[in-house]
Amino acid sequence: MTTLAHAFTLAYRPFLDPIPGVAHWWWLTIIPLAFFISMTYKAVRINSLDNMRRYWRKVAVMTLQVIALMLALAAGLHIVVEFIAPAVG
Amino acid sequence: MAQGSTDEQLQPIAGLLGAFLPGLGHLWLGEKRRAILIFLGVMGMFFGGVAIGGIDVIDREEDFWWFVGQAGVGPTAFAVDRIHRSRLTSADPPPNADPAWFDTNTPGRVKSLGHPNEIGSLWATLAGMLNAICVIDALIHAPARRREELAPVEEGSAA
Repeated sequence: MTTLAHAFTLAYRPFLDPIPGVAHWWWLTIIPLAFFISMTYKAVRINSLDNMRRYWRKVAVMTLQVIALMLALAAGLHIVVEFIAPAVG
Repeated sequence: MAQGSTDEQLQPIAGLLGAFLPGLGHLWLGEKRRAILIFLGVMGMFFGGVAIGGIDVIDREEDFWWFVGQAGVGPTAFAVDRIHRSRLTSADPPPNADPAWFDTNTPGRVKSLGHPNEIGSLWATLAGMLNAICVIDALIHAPARRREELAPVEEGSAA
């Protein structure tokens, strides 16, 4: 019980404790995740980084593509789980 | 050398440096801007995952296969895991432990569960896997390909 009391009274410790509230808004983390993936991937794939505006434009495009694909997959799975699977099963 | 050739070169030192610290291999190859972007991207994902899920997302014992991917970041992952296991993991209480034992042996560690732990683990593991791609890119380096976009092919040039 002392341990539980500590868990509720101690302040949030960055990088040690989970970010408060992320349990409710976890789905929003896909946006920065897609950005970091795009940023790292394009840093390797683009031959010339002299034009940084072009690089960041490509990163933005890939980020939107990843998010759109994830949304499409989620919508497709929702249709399968909610409508197709019950009809077949 | 033919215009547009790739002239791939094996760069083992760059590969090792990239495996040690994200972006260091590309810095050794002279690609400073690329090195900075790789470092920010990979380490941003790794520590972003730790921030989201807490340090509990880096756990070599309880989440071994996730850690295999996270280890792609290099010694940083092992260091974070070491800090996690040695300083923040609750010790098993002895039988019939006195309540006072918990005051000194459990430093208020909060174990991440559910979505925070899943998302944080995913972020850190993807960081390691992306760094593996960066290490391969540094290992098999093609400097001519990196200059292709700056050097247009001249008509009539020798093949």
